[in-house]
Amino acid sequence: MTPDLKVTIAGVEFANPIMTASGCCGYGEELHRVFPLKTLGALVTKSITLHPRSGHPVPRTAETASGMLNAIGLANVGVDAFIKDKLPFLEDKQTRVIVNVAGSKIQEYVDVCARLEDCPPVDMVELNISCPNVDEGGMEFGSNAALTEKTIASVKKVFTKPLIAKLSPNVTDIVEIARAAEQGGAEVLSLINSVVGAAIDINTWQPKLTNNKGGLTGPAIKPIALAKVDAVYNACTVPIIGIGGITCAADVVEFMLCGATAVQVGTALFIEPDVPVKIVKDLKTYLKQKGLASVANLRGKVRKY
Amino acid sequence: MTKSTCRDTFVIHKKKLQNDYYSLVLGPLRKINHCQPGHFIHLQVPHTDVMFRRAFSIASIFPEQNALEIIFKVVGRMTRQMSTLKTGDTVNILYPLGKSFTLPRKSETSIMVAGGVGFPPLMFLTEHMMKRGYDPKTIHFFYGGRTSADILCRSRLKRTGVLFHPVTEDGSFGRQGLVTEPIEEFIKFRKKDKLRLYACGPEGMLKAANNLGLQYHIPGQLSLEAPMPCGIGVCLGCVVPLTAGGYARVCAEGPVFEVGEVVL
Repeated sequence: MTPDLKVTIAGVEFANPIMTASGCCGYGEELHRVFPLKTLGALVTKSITLHPRSGHPVPRTAETASGMLNAIGLANVGVDAFIKDKLPFLEDKQTRVIVNVAGSKIQEYVDVCARLEDCPPVDMVELNISCPNVDEGGMEFGSNAALTEKTIASVKKVFTKPLIAKLSPNVTDIVEIARAAEQGGAEVLSLINSVVGAAIDINTWQPKLTNNKGGLTGPAIKPIALAKVDAVYNACTVPIIGIGGITCAADVVEFMLCGATAVQVGTALFIEPDVPVKIVKDLKTYLKQKGLASVANLRGKVRKY
Repeated sequence: MTKSTCRDTFVIHKKKLQNDYYSLVLGPLRKINHCQPGHFIHLQVPHTDVMFRRAFSIASIFPEQNALEIIFKVVGRMTRQMSTLKTGDTVNILYPLGKSFTLPRKSETSIMVAGGVGFPPLMFLTEHMMKRGYDPKTIHFFYGGRTSADILCRSRLKRTGVLFHPVTEDGSFGRQGLVTEPIEEFIKFRKKDKLRLYACGPEGMLKAANNLGLQYHIPGQLSLEAPMPCGIGVCLGCVVPLTAGGYARVCAEGPVFEVGEVVL
């Protein structure tokens, strides 16, 4: 029997639990040239803002031990161009579409989501309240419980499809923020966004990123992400999408055992752009070997000491 | 836009050229004819401590062997690993990537401006033009390096029949100085001809070539280099500012840009 990879999150069914992480797959077109997007449970777009943003000057990325730092600066085409030029491509790709939305004011999140409300290809919105790379907004929203709740509640008034709150690990207590997001009306939580980090060039004494600091991603942050998913799973009732350093099916299993219903693959796409194809295949093999009928049987089943 | 393939392939041949330069022939690969001059590959050596891929311009293709060649200089961890590869070793490549050069008109005189490791795509372009029946005497190949050891594949270049103008900073091979100096003289001398520039090399050289193109109204293209985490246009890490404002991705809108298109 072929194990069932389907998962249902906030009433939306996904062919499998593998999604791309925002910022690692553009708007889908480039990745579709490497593998068919229908391989994915969902494509999560690059963060979309109300107005186009060109992002930070280069260098924007730096390789670190088992990971990378980035400070792209939310470069994107803006919501109007996204709806007009980018979204139509995703309409017939047989994968769910999750649009990641960022803003520097609550009203900006609201305005962008209001425009996405009437776009049929959009299945869900993921609110980026945790970007470490912009001066105002981003992480500021996600590191304050009251602001988190208010932002989400404001968006909920104009956006009726399921809303995901993407949480930052750069907070004292992620559980407090997760509860606030849930309280605000988020149907789903995704975690973690990147971990704030820095790297310095010892010859020039300058930071390796023009933004001076950036977000650490890749396998280096997986243990941090797992611990956060575990903590939030034990405190909240809404489904969780696990993110952080996932490169293979074994990583996916770890996240699911800790409570994730689905996962997002990010930095691994830079190393192996067609890695989702392999992950889906290997996940099936794993479930078969373990005699599990459905991937959902893994959720939260970690056997703790 | 071309479909890109991500796959394991093998080292068919490795050759140490000179100094710290190596040539790697990789294959077999499907649809090798889709690789055009200016395209690049994104290469990963499995099971090493280098996690991310590195971009290399294609130096030539061998359709009969379904193989392609890259030429690199050992400069860091990845290229050091690559220099230890042996025939039969596995590498993973993503190809072909980027935008290729636009071929000149046959009535035009091409000025190739190659500097150091910027030489491979221009050699590919030159050999490609020869296969397409261009008159080799319409191609002036200016090739600059710090010393004689930086000027690679001389006999291979000469075999194409193009006019070869080596330039070294220390004068150990060819003319002494910077490669852009004799080019400016050449442009002044041939200003009645229809000229076209193709440049690839270090930033300073590209800047000088771009300025020559603008100053003397010579159309042409520059192939840029940039650190690229993804190579396929999704990470937005390798951008270059555009003269018209905003940024372009070196891996997707480039690496080949028109003279005057980017801010160098």
